[in-house]
Amino acid sequence: MALKERPKPFLLPEYCKGCGRCLDACAKDCITLSDQINSLTGLVPVELDLTNCNACGLCMDACPEPYGLRPAHEGEIQDFELEDPAKLFGVKPSEAPVPVDLPSEVLPLPRTEPLVIKGTYASAIGALLAGCRHVYGYPITPSTEGAELMAKFLPKLDGTFLQAVSEVAAVNMMYGTAGAGLPTMTFTSSPGFSLMLEGVSYMIGSELPGVFVDIMRGGPGLGNIAPEQSDIKLACHGLGHGNTHAITLAPSTPQEMLDLTMLAFELSFKYRNPVVILGDGYLGQMTGKVQLPEAMIKPGIPKWAVYGDAMHRRNLISSIFLTESDLEAHNVHLNAKYEAMKTEARAESFLCDDAEVVLIACNTPARTTKGAVQDLRHQGIRAGLFRPITLWPFPVEALKAAIHGADRIVVVEASAGQLEDEVRLALSKAGIRSFPELESVRRMGGVLPQQSEIMAQVLGKKEVRA
Amino acid sequence: MSKSSVIYDKFERHSHAEGLKGHATHYCPGCGHGLAHKFLAEAIDNLGIQDRTVAISPVGCSVFLYYYFDVGNSQAAHGRAPVVALGHKFANPESVVISYQGDGDLASIGLAETIATAQLGAPITVVFINNAIYGMTGGQMAPTTLMGQSSSTSPSGRNEYMGQPMKMAEIIAGLDGPIYVERVALYDAKQRIKAKKAIQKAVQLQVEGRGYSFIEVLAECPTHLKMTPEETEKWVKECMEPVYPLGVKKDLTVDPWFKRNPPCFKGEKILSLAGATSEHPVRHCEGFPTHLAPHDISLKLAGSGGDGAQTAAMLIARAAINEGFDATHIPSYGPESRGGTSYADVHVAEDEVLNPGSPDPQVLIAFNAPSLAKFGPAVRKGGTVIYDSSVVSEAPELDPSIKVFPVPFTGIATDLGKAVVKNIVALGALQAATGIFPRETMLTAIRVALKDKCALIPLNEEAFAWGIKSVEALGGN
Repeated sequence: MALKERPKPFLLPEYCKGCGRCLDACAKDCITLSDQINSLTGLVPVELDLTNCNACGLCMDACPEPYGLRPAHEGEIQDFELEDPAKLFGVKPSEAPVPVDLPSEVLPLPRTEPLVIKGTYASAIGALLAGCRHVYGYPITPSTEGAELMAKFLPKLDGTFLQAVSEVAAVNMMYGTAGAGLPTMTFTSSPGFSLMLEGVSYMIGSELPGVFVDIMRGGPGLGNIAPEQSDIKLACHGLGHGNTHAITLAPSTPQEMLDLTMLAFELSFKYRNPVVILGDGYLGQMTGKVQLPEAMIKPGIPKWAVYGDAMHRRNLISSIFLTESDLEAHNVHLNAKYEAMKTEARAESFLCDDAEVVLIACNTPARTTKGAVQDLRHQGIRAGLFRPITLWPFPVEALKAAIHGADRIVVVEASAGQLEDEVRLALSKAGIRSFPELESVRRMGGVLPQQSEIMAQVLGKKEVRA
Repeated sequence: MSKSSVIYDKFERHSHAEGLKGHATHYCPGCGHGLAHKFLAEAIDNLGIQDRTVAISPVGCSVFLYYYFDVGNSQAAHGRAPVVALGHKFANPESVVISYQGDGDLASIGLAETIATAQLGAPITVVFINNAIYGMTGGQMAPTTLMGQSSSTSPSGRNEYMGQPMKMAEIIAGLDGPIYVERVALYDAKQRIKAKKAIQKAVQLQVEGRGYSFIEVLAECPTHLKMTPEETEKWVKECMEPVYPLGVKKDLTVDPWFKRNPPCFKGEKILSLAGATSEHPVRHCEGFPTHLAPHDISLKLAGSGGDGAQTAAMLIARAAINEGFDATHIPSYGPESRGGTSYADVHVAEDEVLNPGSPDPQVLIAFNAPSLAKFGPAVRKGGTVIYDSSVVSEAPELDPSIKVFPVPFTGIATDLGKAVVKNIVALGALQAATGIFPRETMLTAIRVALKDKCALIPLNEEAFAWGIKSVEALGGN
C-alpha cells in the first residue's frame, strides 16, 4: 500500500508577516527571508524554495498565522491569482445554521392559598416561577436569605446555585449564563451592587438579560445593614460606565417582590437588558401575604444566545465595537431601546384624584406614607400617595396626573434626596416648569421615615425625632 | 498542518474583513498567540466538538479571539473569563467551554476568579498565555514579568519592590480542584508538538466530564520584548523557562463526574418546595377583631434572641392570613445571632396593612424587663401589655388605661419541660387577654407550623392552654 503523500507547504505572500518562525523549523533550509516588501501588506514575506522539501510539515506547525503556511492540496494553489485575498478564497458561508428563537412556554399553576413569607423569599419564588434556574451570589446582609433559599431549592430542581468568590465574579457568572440565553439572577445589597456595576455595564453593552435584586442598606461605605434607599441614583443613573440604563422596579410589599421579580425576567428578555429590583432592608425581611400566580414560565432559548450547540454556533456575545461609527450606532440602538422601555413606566396613585397634598414615596416608606395618607384623610386633609413602581423609567405621565390639582408635594424617602432628584429630573424632562415647591421628609442611616414625621410635615408641626 | 475548519473561512469580525484582515490575524509578526490559536482550533477539530464549543475571549491581545474561532463566542470583562465560562458551563453542561486568557487577565486582575474557578473544579479548560508582558496596553509590567526585565512600568527592570513573577501553573497545581495542569512552550518544533498535545488533552478531559484543566503556554511577544521573533524564541527558552519550568504539574486520573440533569420545570414541585397548598384553611373568625381596632391592629413582640418572639410573631401573621386578613411581620435583630435583642413588629389588617411598623403598638408582648421598659411607655392608650412575670420582677408605671397581664411564660414552659415553648404560652395569653382571634385559629397556625414535628404538637397545645388559664386567673380580659 502506498503511503499517502504528505503535502508540501504553500504560502500566499499576502498572509505572511515575515516573522521567520518557520525558518528554524525547516531542516532543509527551504525557507528564506526575502528582501522584497509586499506591496499589499507592507511586510516582507518569507520565500519558499521547495526543491529539497520532504513535506515534514514542521514549518506549517511553526507558522502563527491560520492562513499562513498551509498544505498545498492538489489543484488548489495553481489556480490562484495573487490579487485581493478576499476574492481568492471567496466568502464561504459558515456551516452553522441561522438560529431561530426557541420560545418559552407558559405553564398553568393550580390555584393555591396565599403564602406567608418574607420579601426575599417571595422574590426567590418569583424567580423560580419565571423560569430562573441559575442563581449566582455572594452573601451580604440583608439580602442573603434570597440566596439561601435558592441554595436550598435549586438543587432539588436540578438548577444551579453557585456562591461566587465575590460580587464581581457573581455578575460575570450571570453574564455567562445570560449569554447562553437562560434566565439568571442574583441577590445583593448596596456594597455588593456597587461591585457588580462593572458587570452590569458589560451586560447592557452586550445586550444580556439578568435580574438584580438589590436589598438596599445604609451607606456610604460599609454603612450598616439597616434599610436605606441608598442606591436609587446608582440604579437610575449610575449603572457602570457608558450610556447605560435599566428598568428599575421598586416593590413595596412581599407580594410585589414576587410579582415584580417575575415581571423583571419578562422585561429583561423582552429588551435584552438587565432589570434592577430595588428593595429596602425592611421589605427584604418583612413577612407578608403572597399569592402565587396562575402560571409559570419554562424558558426557551433566544436566537441570539451562545448556548453551546450547533444552532447557536455563529453567535457572539460582546460589547466591543472597535470602530467609532460602529460603537456610535450601537449606542444609538441602545438608546432606542431605552426610549422603548419608557412604555413600561408603572405607578400607583392612591387617593390622588382630589388630593391637595401629594406625597411621593416608594418601597417601605410608601407603605408608611399610605398609612399617613389614610390618617390625614381622617383628619379631613385631602392627601394622596404617588408611588412610582418603576424608578427608571420614571412614570412621569402618571405623576403629572397625580399632582394635577395639588398645592403641595412632599417627597418621603430614606435617602438624602435620591428619589427627589428622580422626580425633579422627570418633571424637568417632561417640560413641567411649574409645580409646587418640593417638601421633603428624609431619614438616613438605616432609619425609615415614621408615619408621625410624615403627618407632622403635612400638618406643619415640628416632629421631635426619637 | 492544515487550516482547521474551526477557524472561520473569513474573519468577518476583523475590521469587517476588509482586505487582508479577512484572512490575517491582528497579532504582530511572530506572536505566540497565533500558534496557540491554531493548536486549540486543531484540538476542537480533532475532538469533533466545534458545535458544542464556547470560547471566552478575554481582555488583552487575545480579546479578538472571536474573530477567528468558528464556535460560539463570548467576550468577557478583564479578568472575568473563567467565571463567564462557568456561567456558560452551568447553563449548558453539554457545552465545551474554553477560557483563553493572557497573563494580565489571568494572573493579575482576574486572580480571584482564576483561583476560585480552579478550586471549584468544574470541567472547563483554561488556556493561559504567559508572555511576561502586557501586550495590548503597550508593554507594561505583567505579573509574570521576570526579575530584572524592563517594561514601560519597570523601566529599570523589575526589582524586589515590584514583587516576584507569578508561577501560575504551580499555584493552580497546588489547588485541589484542578485535575490536569501543564506548562508548555512554543519555541521549537518539539515544544510545539507537546503544546498541541497538552491543549488537546485539556479539552478532552472537559469533554469527558472529568474536571478542570489548565495549560500555561510560554509565548513570544517580539514587539514588546523589542526582539526579532527568533531572538524571542531564544529568550523564552533561555530566560523564561528557568523561571517557569515546563512540564506536567498535575495529572490526576478522575472518573467522569460532571453529569447534570436538565432543570425541572414542574409546577407542582415548585409549589411543594414553597409550601403552597390548595387546601382552604378552616376559618373560625366571625369578622375582623374590631374591638381592638377598626381596621388595623399594631403589635410588638420584644425579647432576647432565643425567646421565640419572631416565631410567635410569624404565627400571629399566619393565623391572620389564614382568616383572610392581611398581615405583616418585620423582624429586627441585634447584631448578635443569639442573645441579642429581638423585636418583631406585627400588623393585622382587615384589607391591607398600610404601615407595617409598630412604633406605638396597641399590644406589647415583652419577654424581659428591658423590652418592657423600652416599649411599655410607647403602647397606645387603652392598649394591652403582656409580659413574662417569671423574669420581670418589677413592671414600670404605665398609663392607667393600659391593661397589663403579668404571665409567667418561662415558669410555665419550664414546668412543662421545655423552656422554648414560652412563646406559645405568650400566644395563649395574647388570645385570652385580647381575643384577637378565636383559639382554634391560633391553634391551627401552631399545628401547621409543626406539621413536620407532629410529636411536639401536644406540648405546644398545652403551653397555649396554660397561657390562656394564666390570663383567666388574673381576671381575664
